[in-house]
Amino acid sequence: MILDYFQYEFMQRALLSALVVGLCAPTVGVFLVQKRLALIGDGLGHVALTGVAVGFLTGAAPVWTTLAVTVAAAVVMELLRAKSKTSGDVALAMLFYGGLAGGVYLTGIASDKGVANLQQYLFGSLLTAGWSEVWTIVIGGAAVAALMLVLRPWLTAICADEQYARVSGLPVAALNLLLLVTTAVTVSVSMRAVGILLVSALLVIPVVTVQQFTRSFKATMFASMAAGFLISGAGVLTSAAQDVPPGATIVLIGVAVFLVTAVAAALTRRVRQTRRAHLPPEGEPLEVELPANA
Amino acid sequence: MPVLTVRGATVSYGGRAVVRGADLAVAPGEAVALMGANGSGKSTLIKAVAGLVPLAGGTIELFGTPQKRFRDWRRIGYVPQRTGAASGVPSTAAEVVSQGRLAHRLLGMPARRADRDAVARSLAEVGLADHAHCSVDTLSGGQQQRVLIARALATDPDLLIMDEPTVGVDAETQTALAAVIADRIDAGCAVLLVTHELGPLTDRLDRAVVLADGKVVHDGAPPRPVGEHADPAHEHVHPHANGHNGTDDLWGGK
Repeated sequence: MILDYFQYEFMQRALLSALVVGLCAPTVGVFLVQKRLALIGDGLGHVALTGVAVGFLTGAAPVWTTLAVTVAAAVVMELLRAKSKTSGDVALAMLFYGGLAGGVYLTGIASDKGVANLQQYLFGSLLTAGWSEVWTIVIGGAAVAALMLVLRPWLTAICADEQYARVSGLPVAALNLLLLVTTAVTVSVSMRAVGILLVSALLVIPVVTVQQFTRSFKATMFASMAAGFLISGAGVLTSAAQDVPPGATIVLIGVAVFLVTAVAAALTRRVRQTRRAHLPPEGEPLEVELPANA
Repeated sequence: MPVLTVRGATVSYGGRAVVRGADLAVAPGEAVALMGANGSGKSTLIKAVAGLVPLAGGTIELFGTPQKRFRDWRRIGYVPQRTGAASGVPSTAAEVVSQGRLAHRLLGMPARRADRDAVARSLAEVGLADHAHCSVDTLSGGQQQRVLIARALATDPDLLIMDEPTVGVDAETQTALAAVIADRIDAGCAVLLVTHELGPLTDRLDRAVVLADGKVVHDGAPPRPVGEHADPAHEHVHPHANGHNGTDDLWGGK
Protein backbone atom coordinates (compact mmCIF):
# COMPACT_ATOMS: atom_id res chain seq x y z
CA MET A 1 0.00 0.00 0.00
CA ILE A 2 1.39 3.36 -1.02
CA LEU A 3 0.35 5.04 2.23
CA ASP A 4 2.73 2.77 4.11
CA TYR A 5 5.59 4.95 2.94
CA PHE A 6 4.23 7.81 4.99
CA GLN A 7 4.79 6.16 8.31
CA TYR A 8 8.37 7.37 7.78
CA GLU A 9 8.93 10.91 8.87
CA PHE A 10 11.26 11.68 5.95
CA MET A 11 8.47 10.79 3.53
CA GLN A 12 6.06 13.10 5.35
CA ARG A 13 8.61 15.90 5.08
CA ALA A 14 9.18 15.18 1.40
CA LEU A 15 5.46 15.20 0.62
CA LEU A 16 4.81 18.37 2.60
CA SER A 17 7.66 20.27 0.90
CA ALA A 18 6.66 19.14 -2.58
CA LEU A 19 3.01 20.02 -2.04
CA VAL A 20 3.89 23.50 -0.78
CA VAL A 21 6.19 24.18 -3.72
CA GLY A 22 3.61 22.82 -6.17
CA LEU A 23 0.95 25.07 -4.67
CA CYS A 24 3.02 28.26 -4.47
CA ALA A 25 5.35 28.22 -7.47
CA PRO A 26 2.54 28.67 -10.06
CA THR A 27 1.36 31.87 -8.33
CA VAL A 28 4.62 33.46 -9.50
CA GLY A 29 4.79 31.48 -12.73
CA VAL A 30 1.46 32.79 -13.99
CA PHE A 31 2.92 36.30 -14.18
CA LEU A 32 6.16 35.08 -15.76
CA VAL A 33 4.20 33.27 -18.47
CA GLN A 34 2.08 36.39 -19.01
CA LYS A 35 5.25 38.47 -19.35
CA ARG A 36 6.74 35.88 -21.74
CA LEU A 37 9.59 35.26 -19.31
CA ALA A 38 8.84 31.57 -18.82
CA LEU A 39 12.54 30.68 -18.81
CA ILE A 40 13.54 33.21 -16.16
CA GLY A 41 13.09 30.59 -13.44
CA ASP A 42 15.58 28.37 -15.21
CA GLY A 43 17.99 31.28 -15.63
CA LEU A 44 17.82 32.07 -11.93
CA GLY A 45 18.16 28.33 -11.30
CA HIS A 46 21.54 28.41 -13.00
CA VAL A 47 22.52 31.36 -10.85
CA ALA A 48 21.35 29.43 -7.81
CA LEU A 49 24.09 26.95 -8.63
CA THR A 50 26.60 29.69 -7.96
CA GLY A 51 24.75 30.43 -4.73
CA VAL A 52 25.03 26.80 -3.59
CA ALA A 53 28.74 26.81 -4.41
CA VAL A 54 29.18 29.98 -2.35
CA GLY A 55 27.52 28.07 0.49
CA PHE A 56 30.02 25.19 0.14
CA LEU A 57 32.88 27.64 0.04
CA THR A 58 31.86 29.65 3.08
CA GLY A 59 30.28 26.89 5.10
CA ALA A 60 27.03 28.88 5.33
CA ALA A 61 23.66 27.20 4.77
CA PRO A 62 23.19 26.92 0.98
CA VAL A 63 19.56 28.10 1.16
CA TRP A 64 20.62 31.51 2.43
CA THR A 65 23.63 31.99 0.13
CA THR A 66 21.43 30.92 -2.79
CA LEU A 67 18.77 33.38 -1.75
CA ALA A 68 21.31 36.21 -1.59
CA VAL A 69 22.92 35.38 -4.94
CA THR A 70 19.67 34.85 -6.88
CA VAL A 71 18.06 38.00 -5.49
CA ALA A 72 21.19 39.97 -6.46
CA ALA A 73 21.09 38.42 -9.95
CA ALA A 74 17.39 39.26 -10.29
CA VAL A 75 18.04 42.90 -9.39
CA VAL A 76 20.96 43.15 -11.83
CA MET A 77 18.90 41.53 -14.58
CA GLU A 78 15.96 43.89 -14.08
CA LEU A 79 18.27 46.92 -14.08
CA LEU A 80 19.94 45.67 -17.27
CA ARG A 81 16.57 45.15 -18.90
CA ALA A 82 15.14 48.50 -17.82
CA LYS A 83 18.12 50.83 -18.00
CA SER A 84 20.23 49.57 -20.88
CA LYS A 85 19.53 48.37 -24.36
CA THR A 86 20.10 44.75 -23.28
CA SER A 87 17.06 42.75 -24.31
CA GLY A 88 15.39 40.28 -21.98
CA ASP A 89 16.69 37.21 -23.77
CA VAL A 90 20.29 38.48 -23.84
CA ALA A 91 20.15 39.16 -20.10
CA LEU A 92 18.69 35.68 -19.68
CA ALA A 93 21.48 34.09 -21.73
CA MET A 94 24.06 35.81 -19.51
CA LEU A 95 22.34 34.37 -16.43
CA PHE A 96 22.51 30.85 -17.86
CA TYR A 97 26.21 31.04 -18.80
CA GLY A 98 27.42 33.03 -15.82
CA GLY A 99 25.42 31.09 -13.25
CA LEU A 100 26.54 27.68 -14.47
CA ALA A 101 30.20 28.72 -14.86
CA GLY A 102 30.22 30.42 -11.45
CA GLY A 103 28.81 27.32 -9.81
CA VAL A 104 31.31 24.94 -11.39
CA TYR A 105 34.24 27.31 -10.78
CA LEU A 106 33.47 27.93 -7.12
CA THR A 107 32.76 24.25 -6.49
CA GLY A 108 36.18 23.56 -7.97
CA ILE A 109 37.76 25.88 -5.42
CA ALA A 110 35.77 24.28 -2.63
CA SER A 111 36.47 20.78 -3.89
CA ASP A 112 37.26 19.39 -0.46
CA LYS A 113 34.00 20.58 1.08
CA GLY A 114 31.33 18.18 0.01
CA VAL A 115 31.11 18.47 -3.76
CA ALA A 116 29.23 15.21 -3.69
CA ASN A 117 26.38 17.29 -2.29
CA LEU A 118 26.08 19.37 -5.43
CA GLN A 119 23.92 16.82 -7.14
CA GLN A 120 21.29 17.01 -4.42
CA TYR A 121 20.80 20.66 -5.26
CA LEU A 122 20.91 20.15 -9.01
CA PHE A 123 18.16 17.55 -9.06
CA GLY A 124 16.55 17.95 -5.66
CA SER A 125 16.76 15.71 -2.65
CA LEU A 126 13.50 15.89 -0.80
CA LEU A 127 14.21 12.76 1.16
CA THR A 128 17.19 14.17 3.04
CA ALA A 129 15.54 17.44 4.02
CA GLY A 130 15.29 18.10 7.74
CA TRP A 131 12.36 19.77 9.48
CA SER A 132 14.10 23.15 9.53
CA GLU A 133 14.43 23.04 5.76
CA VAL A 134 10.81 22.02 5.40
CA TRP A 135 9.74 25.01 7.50
CA THR A 136 11.87 27.29 5.33
CA ILE A 137 9.95 26.00 2.31
CA VAL A 138 6.56 26.34 4.02
CA ILE A 139 7.17 29.88 5.30
CA GLY A 140 8.84 31.08 2.08
CA GLY A 141 6.13 29.51 -0.07
CA ALA A 142 3.31 30.98 1.99
CA ALA A 143 4.88 34.45 1.86
CA VAL A 144 5.34 34.25 -1.91
CA ALA A 145 1.81 33.00 -2.54
CA ALA A 146 0.21 35.59 -0.26
CA LEU A 147 2.10 38.44 -1.91
CA MET A 148 1.22 37.26 -5.42
CA LEU A 149 -2.47 36.76 -4.58
CA VAL A 150 -2.81 40.19 -2.97
CA LEU A 151 -0.98 42.01 -5.78
CA ARG A 152 -2.59 40.03 -8.61
CA PRO A 153 -4.40 42.94 -10.35
CA TRP A 154 -1.32 45.17 -10.32
CA LEU A 155 1.10 42.47 -11.44
CA THR A 156 -1.33 41.39 -14.17
CA ALA A 157 -1.45 44.96 -15.42
CA ILE A 158 2.34 45.37 -15.65
CA CYS A 159 2.77 41.95 -17.23
CA ALA A 160 -0.03 42.28 -19.80
CA ASP A 161 0.53 45.87 -20.96
CA GLU A 162 3.50 47.60 -19.37
CA GLN A 163 3.01 50.82 -21.35
CA TYR A 164 -0.57 51.21 -20.22
CA ALA A 165 0.47 50.48 -16.65
CA ARG A 166 3.05 53.26 -16.84
CA VAL A 167 0.49 55.75 -18.17
CA SER A 168 -1.87 54.78 -15.31
CA GLY A 169 0.87 55.87 -12.94
CA LEU A 170 1.49 52.43 -11.42
CA PRO A 171 4.94 51.86 -9.84
CA VAL A 172 5.98 49.70 -12.78
CA ALA A 173 9.71 49.52 -12.04
CA ALA A 174 9.14 48.55 -8.41
CA LEU A 175 6.56 45.92 -9.34
CA ASN A 176 8.83 44.43 -12.02
CA LEU A 177 11.63 44.22 -9.49
CA LEU A 178 9.32 42.69 -6.90
CA LEU A 179 8.25 40.01 -9.37
CA LEU A 180 11.83 39.05 -10.20
CA VAL A 181 12.90 39.05 -6.54
CA THR A 182 9.91 36.86 -5.71
CA THR A 183 10.98 34.49 -8.49
CA ALA A 184 14.44 34.36 -6.95
CA VAL A 185 12.97 33.55 -3.54
CA THR A 186 10.81 30.83 -5.09
CA VAL A 187 13.80 29.28 -6.84
CA SER A 188 15.87 29.31 -3.67
CA VAL A 189 13.25 27.74 -1.44
CA SER A 190 12.10 25.15 -3.96
CA MET A 191 15.51 23.86 -4.98
CA ARG A 192 15.28 21.30 -2.18
CA ALA A 193 12.16 19.85 -3.70
CA VAL A 194 12.73 19.71 -7.43
CA GLY A 195 16.33 20.82 -7.79
CA ILE A 196 17.62 24.01 -9.30
CA LEU A 197 17.76 22.70 -12.85
CA LEU A 198 14.12 21.69 -12.76
CA VAL A 199 12.60 24.43 -10.60
CA SER A 200 11.43 26.37 -13.63
CA ALA A 201 9.14 23.46 -14.48
CA LEU A 202 6.93 23.96 -11.42
CA LEU A 203 6.71 27.69 -12.16
CA VAL A 204 5.57 27.16 -15.72
CA ILE A 205 4.04 23.74 -16.39
CA PRO A 206 0.94 24.06 -14.17
CA VAL A 207 0.19 27.47 -15.72
CA VAL A 208 0.55 26.50 -19.37
CA THR A 209 -1.43 23.33 -18.67
CA VAL A 210 -4.50 25.02 -17.21
CA GLN A 211 -4.51 28.13 -19.38
CA GLN A 212 -5.63 25.99 -22.29
CA PHE A 213 -9.00 25.66 -20.59
CA THR A 214 -9.46 28.85 -18.59
CA ARG A 215 -11.00 32.15 -19.69
CA SER A 216 -9.90 34.49 -16.91
CA PHE A 217 -6.60 35.34 -15.29
CA LYS A 218 -8.02 34.72 -11.83
CA ALA A 219 -9.21 31.23 -12.76
CA THR A 220 -5.84 30.49 -14.40
CA MET A 221 -4.05 31.45 -11.20
CA PHE A 222 -6.15 29.29 -8.89
CA ALA A 223 -6.39 26.35 -11.27
CA SER A 224 -2.63 26.35 -11.78
CA MET A 225 -2.13 26.22 -8.00
CA ALA A 226 -4.38 23.16 -7.88
CA ALA A 227 -2.56 21.60 -10.84
CA GLY A 228 0.86 22.23 -9.28
CA PHE A 229 -0.36 20.72 -6.00
CA LEU A 230 -1.64 17.57 -7.71
CA ILE A 231 1.40 17.16 -9.97
CA SER A 232 3.82 17.49 -7.04
CA GLY A 233 1.83 15.09 -4.89
CA ALA A 234 1.60 12.52 -7.66
CA GLY A 235 5.33 12.92 -8.32
CA VAL A 236 6.33 12.25 -4.71
CA LEU A 237 4.05 9.21 -4.45
CA THR A 238 5.33 7.75 -7.72
CA SER A 239 8.94 8.33 -6.84
CA ALA A 240 8.46 6.71 -3.45
CA ALA A 241 6.86 3.66 -5.01
CA GLN A 242 9.59 3.25 -7.59
CA ASP A 243 12.55 4.56 -5.56
CA VAL A 244 13.56 7.18 -8.15
CA PRO A 245 14.47 10.88 -7.66
CA PRO A 246 11.32 12.90 -6.82
CA GLY A 247 12.33 16.07 -8.68
CA ALA A 248 12.65 14.36 -12.03
CA THR A 249 9.46 12.35 -11.42
CA ILE A 250 7.44 15.49 -10.63
CA VAL A 251 8.68 17.22 -13.79
CA LEU A 252 8.06 14.19 -16.01
CA ILE A 253 4.50 13.87 -14.70
CA GLY A 254 4.04 17.58 -15.35
CA VAL A 255 5.26 17.33 -18.93
CA ALA A 256 3.06 14.28 -19.54
CA VAL A 257 0.00 16.07 -18.13
CA PHE A 258 0.74 19.08 -20.33
CA LEU A 259 0.99 16.94 -23.47
CA VAL A 260 -2.22 15.07 -22.71
CA THR A 261 -4.15 18.28 -21.97
CA ALA A 262 -2.75 19.98 -25.08
CA VAL A 263 -4.21 17.20 -27.21
CA ALA A 264 -7.47 17.31 -25.25
CA ALA A 265 -7.66 21.09 -25.65
CA ALA A 266 -7.13 20.85 -29.38
CA LEU A 267 -9.99 18.36 -29.58
CA THR A 268 -12.36 20.47 -27.45
CA ARG A 269 -11.55 23.53 -29.54
CA ARG A 270 -12.57 21.62 -32.61
CA VAL A 271 -15.89 20.68 -31.00
CA ARG A 272 -16.43 24.26 -29.77
CA GLN A 273 -15.92 25.72 -33.19
CA THR A 274 -19.22 24.20 -34.20
CA ARG A 275 -21.00 25.33 -31.00
CA ARG A 276 -19.60 28.74 -30.17
CA ALA A 277 -20.60 30.54 -26.99
CA HIS A 278 -21.03 33.82 -28.82
CA LEU A 279 -21.39 34.45 -32.51
CA PRO A 280 -18.36 35.46 -34.52
CA PRO A 281 -18.27 39.19 -35.32
CA GLU A 282 -19.77 40.46 -38.51
CA GLY A 283 -17.27 41.52 -41.08
CA GLU A 284 -17.11 44.76 -43.00
CA PRO A 285 -19.38 44.85 -46.00
CA LEU A 286 -17.45 44.01 -49.10
CA GLU A 287 -16.87 47.35 -50.79
CA VAL A 288 -16.76 46.06 -54.31
CA GLU A 289 -19.46 45.12 -56.68
CA LEU A 290 -19.29 41.49 -57.53
CA PRO A 291 -19.82 40.75 -61.21
CA ALA A 292 -23.15 39.05 -61.66
CA ASN A 293 -22.88 35.43 -62.51
CA ALA A 294 -23.82 35.05 -66.12
CA MET B 1 -6.14 76.24 -16.80
CA PRO B 2 -5.42 74.08 -19.85
CA VAL B 3 -5.57 70.32 -19.49
CA LEU B 4 -2.45 69.89 -21.56
CA THR B 5 0.24 72.33 -22.62
CA VAL B 6 3.15 71.24 -24.80
CA ARG B 7 5.79 73.85 -25.57
CA GLY B 8 8.60 73.32 -28.04
CA ALA B 9 8.59 69.55 -27.59
CA THR B 10 11.46 67.73 -29.27
CA VAL B 11 11.74 63.96 -29.25
CA SER B 12 14.65 62.03 -30.78
CA TYR B 13 15.06 58.38 -31.54
CA GLY B 14 18.71 57.42 -31.81
CA GLY B 15 19.87 60.97 -32.54
CA ARG B 16 17.20 61.66 -35.16
CA ALA B 17 14.61 64.26 -34.16
CA VAL B 18 11.17 62.81 -34.86
CA VAL B 19 9.26 65.66 -33.23
CA ARG B 20 10.86 69.09 -33.62
CA GLY B 21 9.68 71.93 -31.43
CA ALA B 22 5.98 71.10 -31.45
CA ASP B 23 3.47 73.22 -29.52
CA LEU B 24 0.13 71.79 -28.51
CA ALA B 25 -2.57 72.89 -26.08
CA VAL B 26 -5.83 71.28 -25.04
CA ALA B 27 -8.39 73.20 -23.00
CA PRO B 28 -10.83 71.49 -20.60
CA GLY B 29 -13.61 69.80 -22.52
CA GLU B 30 -11.95 70.45 -25.85
CA ALA B 31 -11.62 67.76 -28.51
CA VAL B 32 -8.41 68.02 -30.52
CA ALA B 33 -7.15 65.75 -33.26
CA LEU B 34 -3.48 65.29 -33.93
CA MET B 35 -3.19 64.52 -37.61
CA GLY B 36 -0.47 63.93 -40.14
CA ALA B 37 0.90 61.37 -42.54
CA ASN B 38 2.64 58.20 -41.40
CA GLY B 39 6.03 59.12 -39.97
CA SER B 40 5.03 62.75 -39.25
CA GLY B 41 5.69 62.20 -35.55
CA LYS B 42 2.10 62.30 -34.29
CA SER B 43 2.27 59.00 -32.44
CA THR B 44 5.64 59.92 -30.96
CA LEU B 45 4.32 63.25 -29.70
CA ILE B 46 1.34 61.59 -28.03
CA LYS B 47 3.64 58.99 -26.43
CA ALA B 48 5.72 61.85 -25.05
CA VAL B 49 2.55 63.41 -23.63
CA ALA B 50 1.71 60.08 -22.00
CA GLY B 51 5.22 59.91 -20.52
CA LEU B 52 6.26 56.85 -22.52
CA VAL B 53 9.13 58.48 -24.41
CA PRO B 54 11.45 61.12 -22.91
CA LEU B 55 11.63 64.67 -24.23
CA ALA B 56 14.91 65.85 -25.70
CA GLY B 57 13.74 69.43 -25.38
CA GLY B 58 10.70 71.53 -24.47
CA THR B 59 8.16 71.12 -21.70
CA ILE B 60 4.92 69.25 -21.13
CA GLU B 61 2.40 70.31 -18.49
CA LEU B 62 -0.58 68.18 -17.50
CA PHE B 63 -3.35 69.99 -15.62
CA GLY B 64 -0.89 72.79 -14.95
CA THR B 65 1.74 70.52 -13.39
CA PRO B 66 5.06 69.79 -15.11
CA GLN B 67 4.94 66.21 -16.36
CA LYS B 68 7.87 65.09 -14.17
CA ARG B 69 6.00 66.10 -11.03
CA PHE B 70 2.57 64.99 -12.26
CA ARG B 71 1.16 62.15 -10.12
CA ASP B 72 -2.56 62.28 -10.80
CA TRP B 73 -2.43 59.87 -13.75
CA ARG B 74 -5.91 58.56 -13.00
CA ARG B 75 -7.25 61.75 -14.57
CA ILE B 76 -5.87 60.51 -17.89
CA GLY B 77 -7.41 57.71 -19.92
CA TYR B 78 -5.02 56.22 -22.45
CA VAL B 79 -5.83 54.04 -25.43
CA PRO B 80 -2.59 52.71 -26.92
CA GLN B 81 -2.09 52.20 -30.61
CA ARG B 82 -3.67 48.94 -31.62
CA THR B 83 -1.79 45.99 -30.20
CA GLY B 84 -4.72 43.74 -29.40
CA ALA B 85 -5.97 43.24 -25.88
CA ALA B 86 -4.99 39.57 -25.80
CA SER B 87 -1.83 38.36 -24.08
CA GLY B 88 -0.14 35.16 -22.96
CA VAL B 89 -2.46 34.14 -20.15
CA PRO B 90 -6.23 34.35 -20.78
CA SER B 91 -7.98 37.41 -19.32
CA THR B 92 -11.65 38.32 -19.46
CA ALA B 93 -12.81 41.63 -20.88
CA ALA B 94 -13.82 42.70 -17.37
CA GLU B 95 -10.32 41.91 -16.06
CA VAL B 96 -8.68 44.03 -18.75
CA VAL B 97 -11.09 46.91 -18.17
CA SER B 98 -10.51 46.73 -14.41
CA GLN B 99 -6.86 47.66 -15.06
CA GLY B 100 -8.29 51.11 -15.71
CA ARG B 101 -9.33 51.32 -12.04
CA LEU B 102 -5.98 50.34 -10.50
CA ALA B 103 -4.86 53.96 -10.30
CA HIS B 104 -7.88 54.57 -8.05
CA ARG B 105 -6.99 51.73 -5.68
CA LEU B 106 -4.32 51.58 -3.01
CA LEU B 107 -1.71 48.92 -3.74
CA GLY B 108 -2.93 45.59 -2.42
CA MET B 109 -6.45 46.76 -1.51
CA PRO B 110 -9.48 44.97 -2.96
CA ALA B 111 -11.77 46.62 -5.51
CA ARG B 112 -14.56 48.70 -4.04
CA ARG B 113 -18.11 49.00 -5.27
CA ALA B 114 -17.26 52.19 -7.21
CA ASP B 115 -14.50 50.30 -9.05
CA ARG B 116 -16.76 47.42 -10.01
CA ASP B 117 -19.51 49.82 -11.08
CA ALA B 118 -17.10 51.79 -13.28
CA VAL B 119 -15.94 48.61 -14.99
CA ALA B 120 -19.49 47.43 -15.68
CA ARG B 121 -20.54 50.90 -16.88
CA SER B 122 -17.58 51.24 -19.26
CA LEU B 123 -18.17 47.82 -20.76
CA ALA B 124 -21.83 48.71 -21.27
CA GLU B 125 -20.87 52.03 -22.86
CA VAL B 126 -18.89 50.28 -25.57
CA GLY B 127 -21.59 47.65 -26.02
CA LEU B 128 -19.72 44.72 -24.50
CA ALA B 129 -21.76 44.20 -21.33
CA ASP B 130 -22.67 40.72 -22.53
CA HIS B 131 -19.03 39.91 -23.19
CA ALA B 132 -17.65 40.91 -19.76
CA HIS B 133 -16.71 37.37 -18.89
CA CYS B 134 -15.46 36.31 -22.31
CA SER B 135 -11.77 35.76 -22.76
CA VAL B 136 -10.49 38.72 -24.81
CA ASP B 137 -8.63 36.49 -27.24
CA THR B 138 -11.95 35.05 -28.41
CA LEU B 139 -13.18 38.57 -29.30
CA SER B 140 -12.75 40.09 -32.73
CA GLY B 141 -10.18 42.80 -33.40
CA GLY B 142 -12.82 45.53 -33.26
CA GLN B 143 -14.24 44.17 -30.00
CA GLN B 144 -10.73 44.02 -28.48
CA GLN B 145 -10.27 47.66 -29.42
CA ARG B 146 -13.55 48.48 -27.68
CA VAL B 147 -12.22 46.69 -24.57
CA LEU B 148 -9.15 48.95 -24.60
CA ILE B 149 -11.35 52.03 -24.96
CA ALA B 150 -13.57 50.83 -22.11
CA ARG B 151 -10.43 50.44 -19.98
CA ALA B 152 -9.55 54.09 -20.62
CA LEU B 153 -13.12 55.19 -19.86
CA ALA B 154 -13.19 53.22 -16.61
CA THR B 155 -10.74 55.59 -14.98
CA ASP B 156 -13.29 58.44 -15.41
CA PRO B 157 -10.72 60.58 -17.18
CA ASP B 158 -10.62 64.35 -17.56
CA LEU B 159 -8.34 63.87 -20.56
CA LEU B 160 -8.75 60.97 -22.93
CA ILE B 161 -5.65 60.27 -25.05
CA MET B 162 -6.24 57.92 -27.95
CA ASP B 163 -3.61 56.75 -30.41
CA GLU B 164 -5.32 55.74 -33.66
CA PRO B 165 -8.25 54.10 -31.90
CA THR B 166 -10.15 53.31 -35.08
CA VAL B 167 -7.48 51.65 -37.21
CA GLY B 168 -8.85 48.34 -38.40
CA VAL B 169 -12.22 48.93 -36.73
CA ASP B 170 -15.29 48.43 -38.89
CA ALA B 171 -17.36 51.48 -39.85
CA GLU B 172 -20.29 50.55 -37.66
CA THR B 173 -18.09 50.30 -34.57
CA GLN B 174 -16.45 53.63 -35.48
CA THR B 175 -19.84 55.35 -35.56
CA ALA B 176 -20.81 53.86 -32.22
CA LEU B 177 -17.45 54.75 -30.69
CA ALA B 178 -17.88 58.30 -31.92
CA ALA B 179 -21.18 58.47 -30.01
CA VAL B 180 -19.51 57.19 -26.83
CA ILE B 181 -16.67 59.71 -27.11
CA ALA B 182 -19.14 62.51 -27.90
CA ASP B 183 -21.01 61.71 -24.67
CA ARG B 184 -17.77 62.04 -22.73
CA ILE B 185 -16.95 65.33 -24.44
CA ASP B 186 -20.42 66.62 -23.53
CA ALA B 187 -19.72 65.59 -19.94
CA GLY B 188 -16.62 67.81 -19.96
CA CYS B 189 -13.85 65.35 -20.78
CA ALA B 190 -11.09 66.69 -23.03
CA VAL B 191 -9.98 64.46 -25.88
CA LEU B 192 -6.66 64.26 -27.68
CA LEU B 193 -6.93 61.90 -30.60
CA VAL B 194 -4.28 60.75 -33.05
CA THR B 195 -5.78 59.89 -36.37
CA HIS B 196 -4.86 59.93 -40.01
CA GLU B 197 -8.32 59.62 -41.41
CA LEU B 198 -11.51 61.61 -41.31
CA GLY B 199 -14.41 59.62 -40.01
CA PRO B 200 -17.28 59.67 -37.56
CA LEU B 201 -14.89 60.43 -34.67
CA THR B 202 -13.56 63.58 -36.35
CA ASP B 203 -17.02 65.12 -36.80
CA ARG B 204 -17.11 66.29 -33.17
CA LEU B 205 -13.66 67.90 -33.15
CA ASP B 206 -13.13 71.47 -32.01
CA ARG B 207 -9.69 71.74 -33.51
CA ALA B 208 -7.04 69.84 -35.41
CA VAL B 209 -3.27 70.07 -35.14
CA VAL B 210 -1.49 68.79 -38.21
CA LEU B 211 2.12 67.60 -38.03
CA ALA B 212 4.47 67.25 -40.94
CA ASP B 213 8.07 66.16 -40.45
CA GLY B 214 7.74 66.61 -36.72
CA LYS B 215 6.61 70.23 -36.95
CA VAL B 216 3.17 71.74 -36.47
CA VAL B 217 1.99 73.01 -39.85
CA HIS B 218 -1.64 73.71 -38.95
CA ASP B 219 -3.44 74.48 -35.70
CA GLY B 220 -7.06 75.46 -36.13
CA ALA B 221 -10.27 74.32 -37.70
CA PRO B 222 -10.39 70.61 -38.53
CA PRO B 223 -9.58 69.94 -42.17
CA ARG B 224 -12.62 69.54 -44.34
CA PRO B 225 -12.96 66.35 -46.26
CA VAL B 226 -12.09 66.59 -49.93
CA GLY B 227 -12.89 64.43 -52.90
CA GLU B 228 -15.37 61.65 -52.45
CA HIS B 229 -15.75 62.38 -48.72
CA ALA B 230 -16.98 65.93 -49.49
CA ASP B 231 -19.96 64.63 -51.40
CA PRO B 232 -23.00 65.13 -49.12
CA ALA B 233 -24.43 61.92 -50.50
CA HIS B 234 -21.37 60.01 -49.35
CA GLU B 235 -22.34 57.79 -46.49
CA HIS B 236 -19.95 57.42 -43.62
CA VAL B 237 -22.06 54.70 -42.17
CA HIS B 238 -21.68 51.60 -44.21
CA PRO B 239 -25.04 49.89 -44.04
CA HIS B 240 -24.96 46.26 -43.21
CA ALA B 241 -26.86 43.78 -45.27
CA ASN B 242 -28.33 42.03 -42.26
CA GLY B 243 -30.99 44.60 -41.44
CA HIS B 244 -29.62 45.73 -38.07
CA ASN B 245 -29.60 49.34 -39.20
CA GLY B 246 -32.59 51.32 -38.10
CA THR B 247 -32.88 49.49 -34.80
CA ASP B 248 -31.92 51.51 -31.77
CA ASP B 249 -29.15 49.06 -31.02
CA LEU B 250 -26.18 51.31 -31.55
CA TRP B 251 -23.76 48.45 -31.75
CA GLY B 252 -25.57 46.43 -34.38
CA GLY B 253 -25.42 42.68 -34.11
CA LYS B 254 -23.84 41.03 -31.14
